[in-house]
Amino acid sequence: MTRNILVVDDDQEMLLSLKEGLEGYGENFSVLMAGDGLVAVEKLKISPISLVVSDIRMGRMDGFTLLTYIMQYYPGIPVILMTGYGTDDTERQALARGALGYIEKPFTIENLSRQIMTVTRRESDGGTLQGISSGNFLQLIGMEEKTCTIRLVDKLYDKHGVLFFKEGELLNARVGNLQGEAAAYEIFAWDEVNLSIQNACHQKERKIKSDLQAVLLEAMRLKDEAADNGEEPVSPLELKEESGNGYEVRESKEMSITNHIKSKVEGKLGKKCGLMDICEDDSWDSLLTQMAKIGEFLGAGKLKLVYVDKEESNDFILLPGQETTVISVNPKCPRERIIQALTDKQTP
Amino acid sequence: MKKLFKHILSTEDVKGIMLFSFEGELIFKKFSSPLSEEPKGSARWLNVINSLKGVKEVDVIFEKTRLYARRTEHGYLLILMGIFAPIAMIRLNCDVLLSSSKQMGIIKGLRGLLKKAN
Repeated sequence: MTRNILVVDDDQEMLLSLKEGLEGYGENFSVLMAGDGLVAVEKLKISPISLVVSDIRMGRMDGFTLLTYIMQYYPGIPVILMTGYGTDDTERQALARGALGYIEKPFTIENLSRQIMTVTRRESDGGTLQGISSGNFLQLIGMEEKTCTIRLVDKLYDKHGVLFFKEGELLNARVGNLQGEAAAYEIFAWDEVNLSIQNACHQKERKIKSDLQAVLLEAMRLKDEAADNGEEPVSPLELKEESGNGYEVRESKEMSITNHIKSKVEGKLGKKCGLMDICEDDSWDSLLTQMAKIGEFLGAGKLKLVYVDKEESNDFILLPGQETTVISVNPKCPRERIIQALTDKQTP
Repeated sequence: MKKLFKHILSTEDVKGIMLFSFEGELIFKKFSSPLSEEPKGSARWLNVINSLKGVKEVDVIFEKTRLYARRTEHGYLLILMGIFAPIAMIRLNCDVLLSSSKQMGIIKGLRGLLKKAN
């Protein structure tokens, strides 16, 4: 998981030399820069930050004010303050206001980077998990009554979010500038995430009043609603129902079935929608036949599409017809939106 | 059993649930309105279950309705729903049901109990 360190100083020369020095540790973290506290606040709103290293004396917004702001709005982000005018009292004040570290100029890059790495390692002291469904995992956090901070990355859109748990209660969530339940709804809608767990929670105030189960279910409801409303409108493929059982792509001299489906779905959902391959394959006919029979038994009407998850590297979408069309998709694909795209009718 | 599936059954537009063993035997069923024909264990269902071999889950989209099948430790859970059912919530409820029932050992011996109950 990428860790971004935000370095804040109004001394441009100092800022650049810190950036150059810290870039030598690019394997461990990336460096973002801000020219003063106000710029830092804006960066915090738009970028996922793991640690802030800030000078104390700055114009517009000084390091102490920035520290206070971070403690209030981003309590999971640790702060190291640095100063060239340090006294024992300054250090005492910095630590009393919540700074995790205090460093006096001049210092060596090695010394600062050591402190940074010590702090960032704590972000995942409870472990990391790759490619999981967030909803199920978070239920377990609630059941285990864990106190922790969970940082998540949505694998599909590379969005970053943070969840704060105290004894299994979800206190707050944050995605970019969004906090509270609204942020939790967004995070819980992510289908597949990488996450790291920190065995501590610095969030004091409870910003989410509902219990975890209720938030999870509401998130699912909103996700379904968004799909139903087609928030990113998906127009249908030019598929039409045959008089028989299944679909037939409207004939096009220029395009094969494969290209037609690909261009239509990708045209609406984007190149990253997860389509891997499209082919005709009769090895799925037995499954399709059985599903069609269930449909008859249940009076469900004609079979339109089957989405299959075999826990393999790809999932499969089967379109019945004279020849069965099989679409291989990435399991992380936006399943509902692809299904909607493939099943929505369009009047010929 | 009804209690175990109550969250799923109470979800909007869910019309019914069937749990079949891997041998095609009907372990549990509950529908919001009766079907014209009872889905009793038979060769028909064995063929259906066999066709799902190796499959973790399928979403089946029909003209009028939708079916979600999910593999469990003891067979396949089939959830019949309308086209407006909140499918993501239903999947989540299945995840929660399967993981929590494993944790609490509810599934263990369930089949035997169900046979008695039926």
